[in-house]
Amino acid sequence: MADAQAAAPVAGAAAGVLGRTRLRSLLIVCGIALLVIAAGPYVLPTYMVNGLIRAFLYAAVALTVDILWGYTGILTFGQSAFFGIGAYAAGLIFTHAGFGPGYAALALVAGIGVAVIVAAVVGWLAFYHGASPLYGSVITLVLPIVVSQILYSGGNFTGSSSGLSGFESFDIPIEAWFWIAGCFLVVLTAFAWLFVRSDAGRILVAIRENEQRCEYVGINVSRVKILLLVVCAAIAAIAGYLFASVQMVVAPEYAGFVFGTELLIWVALGGRGTLIGPVIGTLVLDVSTSYLSGNLPFVWKLVIGFAFVVVIVALPQGLMPLIKAAVRRLFGRKNTETADFAPRLDAAVEQPYAGLEGAGGCALAVRDVRKQFGSLKVLEGIDFEARRSELLSLVGPNGAGKTTLMRCIADGNERSGGTVLLNDHDILELPPYACVAFGVGRKFQTANVFETLTVAEALRIARTRLAPPSLWTREEGLALPHASMQVIRATGLDKQLGTEARYLSHGMKQALELAMVLALEPSVLLLDEPTAGLTKPERTLIGGILTDLARDHQLCILLVEHDLDFVREISSRVIVLHQGRILLDGTVAQVVESELVRTIYSGGHAATGGAA
Amino acid sequence: MATLLDILTTAAILYSVAAGLLIVFGVMKIINFAHGGFLTVGGYSALLITKLGLNPWWSVPCAFAIGFVCGMLIERLVMKPLYSRPLDAILATWGLGIIIGQLITLGVGREVQFVQSPVSGTIDLLGGTYSGYRLLLVLVAVVIAIGIALLLNGTRLGLVTRAVIMNENLARGLGINSGLVRFITFSLGAGLASLAGALITPLSSVDPNMGVPWLINAFMLVMVSGVSLVSLAVACLVLGGAQVLVSSWGNPILGGLTIVVLAAVVLRLRPQGFSRG
Repeated sequence: MADAQAAAPVAGAAAGVLGRTRLRSLLIVCGIALLVIAAGPYVLPTYMVNGLIRAFLYAAVALTVDILWGYTGILTFGQSAFFGIGAYAAGLIFTHAGFGPGYAALALVAGIGVAVIVAAVVGWLAFYHGASPLYGSVITLVLPIVVSQILYSGGNFTGSSSGLSGFESFDIPIEAWFWIAGCFLVVLTAFAWLFVRSDAGRILVAIRENEQRCEYVGINVSRVKILLLVVCAAIAAIAGYLFASVQMVVAPEYAGFVFGTELLIWVALGGRGTLIGPVIGTLVLDVSTSYLSGNLPFVWKLVIGFAFVVVIVALPQGLMPLIKAAVRRLFGRKNTETADFAPRLDAAVEQPYAGLEGAGGCALAVRDVRKQFGSLKVLEGIDFEARRSELLSLVGPNGAGKTTLMRCIADGNERSGGTVLLNDHDILELPPYACVAFGVGRKFQTANVFETLTVAEALRIARTRLAPPSLWTREEGLALPHASMQVIRATGLDKQLGTEARYLSHGMKQALELAMVLALEPSVLLLDEPTAGLTKPERTLIGGILTDLARDHQLCILLVEHDLDFVREISSRVIVLHQGRILLDGTVAQVVESELVRTIYSGGHAATGGAA
Repeated sequence: MATLLDILTTAAILYSVAAGLLIVFGVMKIINFAHGGFLTVGGYSALLITKLGLNPWWSVPCAFAIGFVCGMLIERLVMKPLYSRPLDAILATWGLGIIIGQLITLGVGREVQFVQSPVSGTIDLLGGTYSGYRLLLVLVAVVIAIGIALLLNGTRLGLVTRAVIMNENLARGLGINSGLVRFITFSLGAGLASLAGALITPLSSVDPNMGVPWLINAFMLVMVSGVSLVSLAVACLVLGGAQVLVSSWGNPILGGLTIVVLAAVVLRLRPQGFSRG
């Protein structure tokens, strides 16, 4: 207990100070933590040492829960299953095959191996394109139930409900176990800390904030989640292996659903998405539980339950932010967290899309595309082609199917029939991130950004596909293609690189999303009402940028717009959609003079605009 | 023949247990993990009636009323801030389940207890004998289903509730007090859970954690049935039936996993589950 309390303020302060001299401070904190752990066995009573070993290992699993849930937003009940797998790998092999250096290594490898395979299967089940977050949670809930029931039904082999105990294990003193478990936790926390603050770690937060936008900047979200789950499973399995080796007992409860929820409780109370919070939360709660449950067994659990509900309802960020604020006030320190970190802007080495377009194809070909919901036909027989440098506007009254058509071009799963070719690649039924690889970039109708990421972080996420980010460090420079840079400079976003997106105005968010899409270096740009809700000067600015993009960068731009004045000023060609069909496909002049267009825009003067 | 009756009665029991969870999920888009706690409350209400020496039938209205009141309190105190955070709502309601379980443990104790059944004995049916109480539960499930259907389709409250289900923002814009709809829905869900808890206790026993295994099965059934009462019935029959078959021809522990595993697989292959949509 003394140990955990001593560690709390140190770590709390550390989380606030780190940011600039990150690595040095991290090393200092780790050093202090290791010193405290080294001294632990000499100053603490034996039962306390025992309790803390277990708490260290639980905290390691809680850390993986925090990375999955706190950072990435995957509410998981299943990490206990991987802990149990690691523990049973040791228990089963030591009981049935015997103990020895070879068997010890075999058990570790087997535990990690099985956990990795199970995690891959669970990940494949839980995270597919279009899966709801609730479904992922359902699967992680099923996993521990299945694993613990299998253990229950294993008869003498798994020891059924009483588990396995009394097997031989490493013959090392309890102090050594304390140091092993403690070092394991400290090293793991340090690596996790570096990882979540690295450029790659920001992708986790981006997924939590806006999974759809991640897919549309070319990130294979499902694969990221599966990889993350596999790594977290392996870590939990190692913790379970150490647990079985030191306690020399395993039971189905350690793989069960209730333990899985207990991990969530520790993480929630400590503070999700803070790493240090869940670690300290686990240490404090587990040690005090083993203390207090002797004296007030049921009352203590009741108190935990109350605290859990109160924290979830009133303090979703847990107790860590409160402690941090208190420490900051105590030492009079300012918040030096990541928010004001602004990288230097560089020009990227552009990687022009190497499509098949040179062979005489066109940037975008839409052939007989249909979309229907049941018997309702939203699009029918849509057929057109668009070349590079063309600025093609899609107009039509509300419900004409404009946005639906955009969706069908950027996501292979959307259309009900027909073919879409991007730079002569058939998009088949490929998900959005694969379509991005064929050169498409889509900007949504309402600004679709990552609310809690800074402008610079959001732009870097958009560069993920072309410039893979570092797993451990944060780059000093941010390299962007010319077009993206132009948007940022013209709108003044370059002066707000360290600002979180949620503090930007509506127009700035629109500009940020456009800059993110352009950072993908697309050759086909889909823009859904990019000027909706913008002022006249902002609109002129965006219009100028778009014509520049088409002219200087040979982009094929497909624009959905209601403002016909705007359309007339910048388009090179116009397609009129009406009730899911192409009504007219021609130059601006042809469309503006068309009698037909005037009638469908409810008899108004089409040329004067703003009809819908 | 007995197997068929087993399937039918198991499905009916599952239906009664899951109905409360379904209406809360359908209207509020929230998974109520305190559902297991409410089932336990119902079980103990039945125990209370037995202890008082009253006619066991009293446990039905009594459990419903107690559950309803618990639901009212919890909706006001805990649920309101969580409507916009569905994943957090799962956690908070799980915490509530812990609280309910611990309060019962503190008040009544942890030991397993038994409840008197309102109907005892067997009924001769189609050339065999079968537990009368289990058959009665089929009737109860039908009554619950009809009751909810009438409430939704035959009353003004039901009309308003359906409006909230389809488009809550629009409903609010039209002057519907969606807060009140949520309040009544959650309380009703809690009442139904408690009622189901009272109904299932004569079949087994009462202990403070009796709700958890039921909760998991009910949760999975609701997940595969979308938000429709009809598809819930289908899901209960198909998955409950599979459970009975696996338990009797295979192994009871695997049987306990049947619903959970099948539901997960069904959802992976067909995200809309048993609903038509």
